[in-house]
Formats: sequence, C-alpha cells, structure tokens
Amino acid sequence: MGMPAAIVLRWVTVAATLALSRRPGACRVAAMGGSILASVLTVTVALYVIASGRTLDGILVRHAASGIVLGYSVTPLAAWFLMVLGLIAAPVAFYSVGYFGHTVKAPRMAVVGTAFNLLLGAVEMVFVADGVVAFLFAWEVMTLLTAALVATEHEDPTSRRAAYLYLVMSHVGTGCLVAGFLFLAAAAGSLSFSAMLAGGIVVGPARDALFALFFLGFGVKAGVIPLHVWLPEAHPAAPTSVSALMSAVLVTAGIYGFFRVCAFGLGVPDVNWALAFMAVGTLSAILGVLYALTQTDIKRLLAYSTIENVGIIVLGLGASMMALAHGSRVLAAVAVAASLTHVLNHAIFKGLLFLGAGSVAMATGTRQIERFGGLLRRMPWTGLFFLIGAMAISGLPLLNGFPSEWLTFQALLLGFTSTPGMVRLNFPLAGAMLALTSALAAACFVRAFGISFVALPRSRAAAEAQESPRTMLVPQALLATLCVAFGLFPGWVLRALGSVMGSLPGLEPGTDMALGGGGMASGLGRFDHVVPVMLGVALMGALAAAGFLTKRRGARLRRVPTWGCGGELTPRTEYTATAFSKPLMMIFRAVYRPTREVEALAEVSPYFPREVRYRAAIEPTFERYVYGPLARAVLRVANGMKVLQAGSLHAYLAYVLVLAVILLMWLGGPT
Amino acid sequence: MIQDTLLAFGAAVLQAGGMLAVAPLLKTAIKKMKARLQNRKGPPLLQGYYDLAKLLRKERVRSETASWIYVAGPRVYFAAAVAATTLVPVLYAGAPLEAAGGILLLVGTLALGRFALATAALDTGSPFGGMGASRDMTIAALAEPALMLGLFASALAAGSLSLGVMVRGLLQQGLAFHPSDLLAFAGLFIIVITETGRIPVDNPATHLELTMIHEAMVLEYAGPDLALVEWASALKELLYLTLLVDLFLPAGMATSVAPVALLVALLAWAGKIFVLAIFVTVAESTNAKLRLFRVPELVSVSLGLAFLALAIRFL
Repeated sequence: MGMPAAIVLRWVTVAATLALSRRPGACRVAAMGGSILASVLTVTVALYVIASGRTLDGILVRHAASGIVLGYSVTPLAAWFLMVLGLIAAPVAFYSVGYFGHTVKAPRMAVVGTAFNLLLGAVEMVFVADGVVAFLFAWEVMTLLTAALVATEHEDPTSRRAAYLYLVMSHVGTGCLVAGFLFLAAAAGSLSFSAMLAGGIVVGPARDALFALFFLGFGVKAGVIPLHVWLPEAHPAAPTSVSALMSAVLVTAGIYGFFRVCAFGLGVPDVNWALAFMAVGTLSAILGVLYALTQTDIKRLLAYSTIENVGIIVLGLGASMMALAHGSRVLAAVAVAASLTHVLNHAIFKGLLFLGAGSVAMATGTRQIERFGGLLRRMPWTGLFFLIGAMAISGLPLLNGFPSEWLTFQALLLGFTSTPGMVRLNFPLAGAMLALTSALAAACFVRAFGISFVALPRSRAAAEAQESPRTMLVPQALLATLCVAFGLFPGWVLRALGSVMGSLPGLEPGTDMALGGGGMASGLGRFDHVVPVMLGVALMGALAAAGFLTKRRGARLRRVPTWGCGGELTPRTEYTATAFSKPLMMIFRAVYRPTREVEALAEVSPYFPREVRYRAAIEPTFERYVYGPLARAVLRVANGMKVLQAGSLHAYLAYVLVLAVILLMWLGGPT
Repeated sequence: MIQDTLLAFGAAVLQAGGMLAVAPLLKTAIKKMKARLQNRKGPPLLQGYYDLAKLLRKERVRSETASWIYVAGPRVYFAAAVAATTLVPVLYAGAPLEAAGGILLLVGTLALGRFALATAALDTGSPFGGMGASRDMTIAALAEPALMLGLFASALAAGSLSLGVMVRGLLQQGLAFHPSDLLAFAGLFIIVITETGRIPVDNPATHLELTMIHEAMVLEYAGPDLALVEWASALKELLYLTLLVDLFLPAGMATSVAPVALLVALLAWAGKIFVLAIFVTVAESTNAKLRLFRVPELVSVSLGLAFLALAIRFL
C-alpha cells in the first residue's frame, strides 16, 4: 500500500499548493511540507523493500474500457533509487521552505511548488513503473517539468536557452527510448517490463542496435560525455533547490535506465558494451572534473562535477558488465556495489554542496567564486557543511566519497585479475584515470572552498553576507551527518545493498563484503578491506597529540597582519580562483585549448601601461566541434523539407491520398 | 577481539612514536650528506631536533585574517601523517592497524592531510599561500595516477592491496626477483621524490618565490604550528621510503615479536632507509630543479614505467 499512498500524498500536496496559490507563504509551507511527508513515506517503502528483498507490486489505474492497466513494481533496484530520491528530496524540500521565500517571486510560488512535487512524483514513477506506457509517460512528464523549473526565471534569456537546449536533447533521447522500447515490445509481444527485460528476447546485431538506442536515450539524462552539453547549462539555471534535485536525483534516472535496461535487461552484456561503458565513464570522469576545475560560477562548477561523478558511476557499471560478459559473478557484484553506493553517496554530497552554494549565492547575490572570499566568518555553519561536502566529494577517508571510490578501485583491480587477455589492461588504466580524477577533484574543491570561504572577502557583498536562516541550515546539517555516517560505516550501506544485488540477474554477492565495525571487504577472497572507524580513532589520537604538542601554558597568542610582500594586503593581491587552476590549465591545454588576450593600454610608454585588460577562455570543444555541425546539418535538412510543407492545402490532400494508396497496395498486396 | 584491537592500537602508538622520533634524523642526514657532496660540513646530525624544539617553544603568531581553518590545517596534516604511519609495516611484517585498511586507505589518508594543508594555506590571504596550494595540488594530482599504478603493479603481483599481506607474501617468496620490479621501483621512486618535495620537483632549501611549492604553502606559519608541519613532512618522507622498502625488499623484517628478531629488523630497516636516503641525496645533488611545467613530463615517465611493469608482469 505504501507506494500508492506516497503518490496520493503527492497529489494531495499539489492540490493544496494550488488551492493556497493566493497566499505564497502558506502555499510554500504546504508544498514543501507535503513533499517532505511524501518523501519520508517513499524512503520507508524503499527501506522495507530493501530490507525484505521482496518486490512490492500492484495496480495504480485500471481502465476497463480501453484495457489499459498501469501498474507499479518496486523491485529492490528501484527501491534503492527511490531511497536515494527520498533521502535527498526531504532535506531539499525543507531547505526550500526558507530558500523559495527569498528567491522565488510570490506569484510564481504555486507553479514552482506544484512543479516541484509533480517532478518528484514523476521520478518516483519512472523508478517504479512496470510497463512501457507508464514509464515513458512518467519520463516525459519528468522532462517537461524539469524544463519548466529550469525556466523559472524566464526573464533571463540564458535560462530560456538552457531550458530549450535541455528539451531538445531530452527529446532526442526520449525518441531513442521510444524506438528501443517499441522494438523490444514487438519482439516480446508484451508491454510489461517483466516480459520485455527478461533478457534473450532479441539476439544478434539487433541487440547491439537496441543497446545503442538505449545508451543514447538514457545517456542524455545521465549526462555522460559526449551527451552532456545541456547539463552545465540547465543545472545552474534552475533555482538552487531544483539544481540540487537535478544533480543528485534526476541524473540517477538515466543511471537507473542504464542498470535496468542496458546492463541487466538485454541479456548477458557484450564485451564491447562493457568497453563502451568503461570508456564513456572514464572520459566523463576526467573531462568532467577538468572542466569543473576552471569554472568560476559555483553552480556550473558543481554541475560539471556531477558529470565527473556520473562518470565514476558508469565506470563501475562498465566494470560489472565486463565481469558479467566473462561470467565472473562475484566480481560483477563488487562492481555493481561500487556503482550503486556511489549513486547514493554522490547524491548526498552533491545535494549538500548545492544547498551550500544556494545559501552563499543568496547571501551575496552572485554565483561567481571570484567575488566570495572570507565567507567562513560570516557564515560559519554553511562554511562547515560545505567543507564537509567538499572533503567528501574529494574522496577523502572518513567521509562517504571514499568508500564508493574504494569499491570502484577494488572492482577495477579484481577485474584485472579475473579477466583474460589484453582486454584486462583496460582495468588498471581506468584505475589510474580514476586516481587522477579523484586527485583533480580534490584540487577542484580545495579551490572551490578555499577561494570562497577563507581569506579576505573579495567583494562588498561577501563582506556583508549574512548566515542563512535555520530552515536552510538544518537540512544541510542532516546531509552532512549522512556524509560522515556513511563514510565511517560504509558496511551498513553494503549490507543494505545485499538484497539489491541478490535481485539482479547474474550477480553473486560475496557473503563477506560487509565487515564488523561498519567496515567493508572487497569480496573475492579478501583482496582488501577497510574499517574507517579504526582510522578515525587513530586520527583522533594523533590530533590530540598535535594539540598537546602545540599547547603552551601561559603563552599568549599574538595576532598580526599577514605580510603583503611590502605592499598593502587587499583582496586584489589574493590568489584568485583563475590563478589557482592556471597550472592545471597549462598542463592540460590539449583539452582546454585556452585562448588568451592581453591588451595593455599605455599613454606614454608601453612600459607603463595605464590599464591592462585580460581575457581568457577555454574552448567549448564538444559544443563547437560535435554539436555545432550537427545542429547546422539538422537545420539544413529542415530547410530542404520546407518544400514539402508549402502551406498549400491541395498539396497536403495529395500527400494523404498518395500515402493511402501506398498503404493499401502494401497491406493488401501479397495476400 | 577487544584485546586484539587494544594490542593493535598499542603497537600503533609505539610505531608512530618511534617513526616520529626518527623522522627529523632522516631529514638532517640527507641535508648533511648533500652538504658533504658539495664539500661543506653541513649541520650537526641532531639539528632537526633542535629546530623542532626551538619552534615548539616559540610564541604562537597567527594572521589577523585567518580563521580556524588555519589552525586546523597543520594539525590535520600532522595527524594524517601519523595515522598513515600506523598503516605501514616497519619492523614487524604487518602494520599495527592492518585491520583498518590497505594501500588505498594509506593514499587516502595522506590526501586528507594534503587537502587540509592546502586549504589552510589559502586562509591568510597571502598570495604565496595560494600559489603554493595551487602548485602542490597540481603536482599531487599529476602524481596520483602514477603512484596508484605503481602500487597496483606491486599489489597485483602480491594478490592483495593489504600491505601486511603483500609484505608477508614477499618474505615467504624469499629473494625472488622479477624484472618488472625494477621498472615499478623506478616509477615509484620518482613519485616519492615528487611527493616529498625534493629536487628536481621542488627545492626544500629555497624560499625563492618563483620556485617554491611546499614552502610557499607554509610560508605564513610560525612557531608550534610550523613545527607540526615540518615534523609531519619529515615523517611523510620516512613513510614513503619505508613504503618502498616494504614493497620491494622487505627481507629482514621480523615475523615474530621476539626481541632478537625485532632488533635484526630494526638494523635491516635502518640500513635500507639509509641506502634509499643516499639515492635521494644523489638525485638531489646531481639534478637541477625542473621548471614547474616540466614536472608533468617527469611524472609521465613514472606513469609509463609503472604501466610497463604491469604489462611485463602480466602479459
């Protein structure tokens, strides 16, 4: 009963939101309060399914006359994604009570509140739909509502453009999905997932073509490179709560599709599919973090880092597909565990970081990190939570980014030992690239946190920033706590994952993966293990020792100004975010292809410039070299098609006639 | 179970304390050897301890602009280095906190310290801090894949990522040698040079603004805070050299806690560290410091070596 109840609750919330649309304050509380309740209910249902390992299914709508039955089925895999959704959506809704009050114009509150709730309902439906019709319907609703929310500030042309780009790319993706599902449904003779995704329905080259269709379709939503171009535009354009949902939860809809269909729905995966996944995952991870490193807009930075983390998730999934293709069932389980824990952990820390970014943007009125600085003094709590998120996303131990990256490393190394031939060299290479990614992520977030929160304020707005209200801090505290809890006790997460892995075909989870003390082992004969709590105790002890060493009884602490190299220390002498990432930009210039213009305006002598203008940009490679030509080609074809659509009614009638004749000939011919 | 854990933590405290006690000596010894190669006398062998004692006794001076991050940075850096030493086998063929995790945890713990120090470096608002943090994170990022690949080459040969298991496996094998070891060692040695801030990557003896990396990062620190950073850096260097010993030549390590065995292990370890220290000294004395943008080339050599080691070993 749980799942329908959650859906009904969403509808009630929507009704209440619309009914209260005249009173923005009450409307906001109703929309977000209802959303929190529904999310809590969703998490409860999901946890029940995960704990029991039994699929929960039933019927939502039965229309007798047309024979349409829309059913739901909460499989353990779906429950895992539902749990992630609920865990993020509840704090985000809490945060929105405070945030929307300041940032969304009152007349729009009802629309935003409604879209917010419907969107969550649609994503839930995507996860639990048990047939093609319900799935595609929910998928489309999800796309449209996201686009609407991205365009919340539709006065801004960049928001409109972002929403448009998102719509176009999503619909290309949805087109691929529709084609793929129709083909699969025709082959299976049924519209229900249990029949279509049983595996082995389509064989041969057709199966590869189907894989490609689904890969494109779900890949757009997941935001993997090269299908990512909409993501860094759309995620920052939306109000921050929605950005948090998009980055933490909506990309997982694409990943859910990868799991459900590409990896476990089309039969035993092909080695080439696995290679494609691993390649795309590695590429997304590396390029995502490299682009993130150069961003100065905090939300764009986080959006690019989402691409990076999706890359890590896809890399894990690719490793599991490789294992499945070679029949190593235990290894496949390790890799799936890596991928799914990263789905959870990424959602938590990315949600947290986006909420922090929203608070900072609200307090300073800008998203440019070059204009922040010194915020830790003005916003101590937001700063602390952002720091926790930054450390988690950098994959540092004791926080939750570490366990999932650790598991991914295990999967890659074990993959090397248990696959034959040259193909296995891909694993350590991917491992090295993962190491590079995670170290670059650390650099990226030292920069994001350090430039924004410490040192001198770089603008007046930053100097006068106010700490966020408590409604916005509590949800961040919740998510930060989860970061620490899942970082210290990753074994709990793995234990919960057991039933999910058990429900997927071809997996054989090692029994000893979850260790005592919340630790975890890599399965497959104790290749490696980790118990973060023990390290935590050691670190605490060493910290106490450090405190003891530096303690000086009776000694006074002297505070002096920082030496400004003989000059005055001002925000302008500080190291900027651009300068921070400059060495990496130079080293990876093959990727960035930076352009730089320096213009010195001098009056007397060129040696004494009055003014220096500096402009630096990196080349948007994919936009320029992949999507540019593609868009131009589409426009050219469309232009050519104009001849057909000339506006003459007679011509249109003639088309209908010709079509009818052809169809009659074709259908009535050979019999 | 509880008794084992207590025993492990007891051993961890002993090992961390011992390593902390020896670390300044290593640093001074390298300095001294370098001086001898340049026909100078060099500092007395105990200079490292005198310096630390002096710094720890000094008053605490902090920047007006700094927040708690500035104070936390050196402490976390120190704590991470100390915690990392408990994850590495030194005398006994097993790390005290082996139960906590293997190589990946070790690398992660060191990354934690680096993150803390780099963030703290930005806190004073001095341009040097930012410069140092930027360069240090850049080089660390470049070194990471080579370090990991080098470690993977050794780990895959041993069939485990746990340092204790690897060391015991190597001890059991005796003095078996595989050509790939040489490549992996060379690759990892480059990374050790990189991570410990030695010439040709960084010059620990300079405060020239154009070239400093690590020193720029900690330029604003003084007194006890600086002592923590210096001590932790020395400890990290000792730790990396010990890691090389563990991975490539653990012979002589004690497999029981008998006093004689431990004494032998101590002498063997000290000897091996001394030889590696000579390597480091020679590398420092015979090379010129590389321009920052040439460092990627050096690191990619290491990456290539590690990959070749892996390929030779397994194909």
